[in-house]
Amino acid sequence: MRKLGVALCAAVLMTSVSTLALAAPYGTAGCGLGSVLFKDEPGGVQIFAATTNATFGNQTFGITTGTLNCGDPIWVTGSAETKQFVAHNMDALAADIAAGQGETLDAFAELMEVPVDQRAAFAETLQKNFDQVFTSDQVVMAEVIDNTALLTR
Amino acid sequence: MSVSLLVLLPSGSAAGTGPSIDATSLKRMVQERALAEERLWHVLMHYRAKGSGYESLVDDPDYFFAPRGKIDPAAELAASVEAMLAPPDQGDEHFICRYPARSEWLVESLDVDPQILSRPDCVKRDEALAKVDPQSAVLVFPAAHNNGPASMFGHTLLRIGSSYQSELLSHAINYAAFSTDTNGLIYAFKGLFGLYDGYFTVLPYYEKLNEYSSLEHRDVWEYRLNLEPEEVRRLVLHSWEMQGIASDYFFFDENCSFLLLYLLEAARPELNLTQPYYDRFSFWVIPSDTIVSVKEAGLVEEVKYRPSLATRIEHKASLLDESARRKSHAIAVAGASPRELAENYSLQEQRQILDLSAEYLRYRFSRKEIEEDRYKKRYLPVLAARSALGTEDEMVEVPRPVPPELGHAPGRWALGAGARDSRYFLEFNWRAAYHDLLDPDEGFTQGAQINFISLKARYFPERNNLRLENLHLVDIFSLAPRDLFFSPISWKVRGGLERKPFTDGEDLLYVGINTGGGMAWNLGPDALLYLMADADLNLSDRFRDKVSLGAGPTLGCLLQLTSDWKAHLHGGALFYGFEEHEHYRAVLEQNYRLSREGGVTLKAGWERAFDQSKAEIMLSLNRYF
Repeated sequence: MRKLGVALCAAVLMTSVSTLALAAPYGTAGCGLGSVLFKDEPGGVQIFAATTNATFGNQTFGITTGTLNCGDPIWVTGSAETKQFVAHNMDALAADIAAGQGETLDAFAELMEVPVDQRAAFAETLQKNFDQVFTSDQVVMAEVIDNTALLTR
Repeated sequence: MSVSLLVLLPSGSAAGTGPSIDATSLKRMVQERALAEERLWHVLMHYRAKGSGYESLVDDPDYFFAPRGKIDPAAELAASVEAMLAPPDQGDEHFICRYPARSEWLVESLDVDPQILSRPDCVKRDEALAKVDPQSAVLVFPAAHNNGPASMFGHTLLRIGSSYQSELLSHAINYAAFSTDTNGLIYAFKGLFGLYDGYFTVLPYYEKLNEYSSLEHRDVWEYRLNLEPEEVRRLVLHSWEMQGIASDYFFFDENCSFLLLYLLEAARPELNLTQPYYDRFSFWVIPSDTIVSVKEAGLVEEVKYRPSLATRIEHKASLLDESARRKSHAIAVAGASPRELAENYSLQEQRQILDLSAEYLRYRFSRKEIEEDRYKKRYLPVLAARSALGTEDEMVEVPRPVPPELGHAPGRWALGAGARDSRYFLEFNWRAAYHDLLDPDEGFTQGAQINFISLKARYFPERNNLRLENLHLVDIFSLAPRDLFFSPISWKVRGGLERKPFTDGEDLLYVGINTGGGMAWNLGPDALLYLMADADLNLSDRFRDKVSLGAGPTLGCLLQLTSDWKAHLHGGALFYGFEEHEHYRAVLEQNYRLSREGGVTLKAGWERAFDQSKAEIMLSLNRYF
């Protein structure tokens, strides 16, 4: 599935008339917690929330790939922020796309730089093509971004 | 990185690109302008008056450039001037990069032309600032989890709004204790005595939201503050200064909420948010309390409610009828097919059923109640089926409960009169914090009692005797109702001094620890029934073995009779080994709210121990403070 997706993307990429920059190399830590943001900061250690007993952040949801082998979108130059957001919010994003609306989807549209007047169409396209965005339960963040770009460009 | 050729002058001055600045003359100016007494300086350094001098709340020596910086604002200021003039080759470690709020204030107060200062390359600082992109600020209050002791009083953090439209894409500033202890008791002990270091961290807001909403099932309240972008920028700069700087973290006072008040003062120095806490008698800072302070300071513009995943599930389930609820549950739990709903349900019902199944699957997965493999196999098909059903006209809005800052104040005292065993008495009781099962629930989590330091004393006029009835250090009673979707365990724990009848029929004081666990069910929207198994440990010199250990059931019912009137009927039995005896009790308590400030309590109780029965009745007036 993954290979097929990549092949498809690559094919489209080659035949595409628009010149697309390949994604910039992404931090070696993949898209795990804090690998992008303040990664060298002192104090950015695993912190127990003040009033709770749970370490923060690094939960892997089911269809999130978590911290490893997220891969890079090859079709779209996703910003580090976009990748991190999708990797962290995969499950909520999938639910919003299925429902056709929601805050996570709004944030995703903004990160994908969808103009405000096109967001309703963006949401509708993704909802109608849900199976093509989330191709399988093994889908990874990069594919979700790629598939979105393919469907909505 | 500019390579500068610097000649270090004895005065410690440095040249960036232009004429040199002389530290001596700057220090003279500092003295002439009395900058060491300036409010913002004290805020940024977290100084507060102590005795005849000052002391900073910051415990990390790295934060100070002068050896006596922690207690000497003037010396620290002079040393900061020196540090500001250091050669720029330290990059991000340079004073100007590391302590930007401090150095900006200095530059401004001394009318220094920033152009002639050393200009280190602040790569990290600028990158962080660009990422956070401070435009607005929101005070965020994740309420207590309705069955989690660790989140007792809630928490506060700040969300820094950016140029993004979506709030999820902004950043959060969080102050927390750094701990690797997983043992709750050790954690609590160290927390109480300031044995943890507290650190500020800045991270994407969605991470914090995921943590509260999905992992911990806590509703979140957001209070938009009317700070200007420039003020928010200074706040973020100050939080940058505090990065990696440790302060001893005390759960009760020097905690998340208190330190955030400093950030707000850094944003707007004329605010006076922290001092009142030093001035008042109590030594704890409760997060919801700081919201009241911030609101009273006129900072709050708008309040927003974000229900947790569990709250959303509860609400969505309440919109469906029994058969649809069961269907939704079966799809999530038993793996029933999400595709064959059309024959029995309307389009809107189908959407609601699948939305609920999907959320419930996520809930169970976050609690590790379902394996990842199985979750993945079910979650996507549910969403795929849902995606074929189109979009609801309106998103489901969970009705907004009363916000926490509108609830009763956490302290409570009461004066009452009554009779026990046909002897009259006057009663005084006092509670430091926080919320009792009988207190009005508005603004609090329903069924979650947390009383922290409470005492009760009685005066019996006919014997002219004043006696302590009880002194509880902690008294937690957590009732979480069970239903189709949730099956929490209710529990309680109470510890302190208690009084009850002993062998000779006299009421004696003893040390008691009482705990229990069980279940609770809603009998409709206004009634909660619970059943628990208790364990009770008593320590007293009057026992032959100094100790008595009991066990037995408790049955109770909590009723909301009208919006102002609550009743709690409960009874139970304890059977003690060591010093064998039994203790039976039945109590009916009622509380009627008169206003947000207080109400009336009527309590009738009966108990029997060592074959002696005693009944009592009492009426009291309560006031919250």
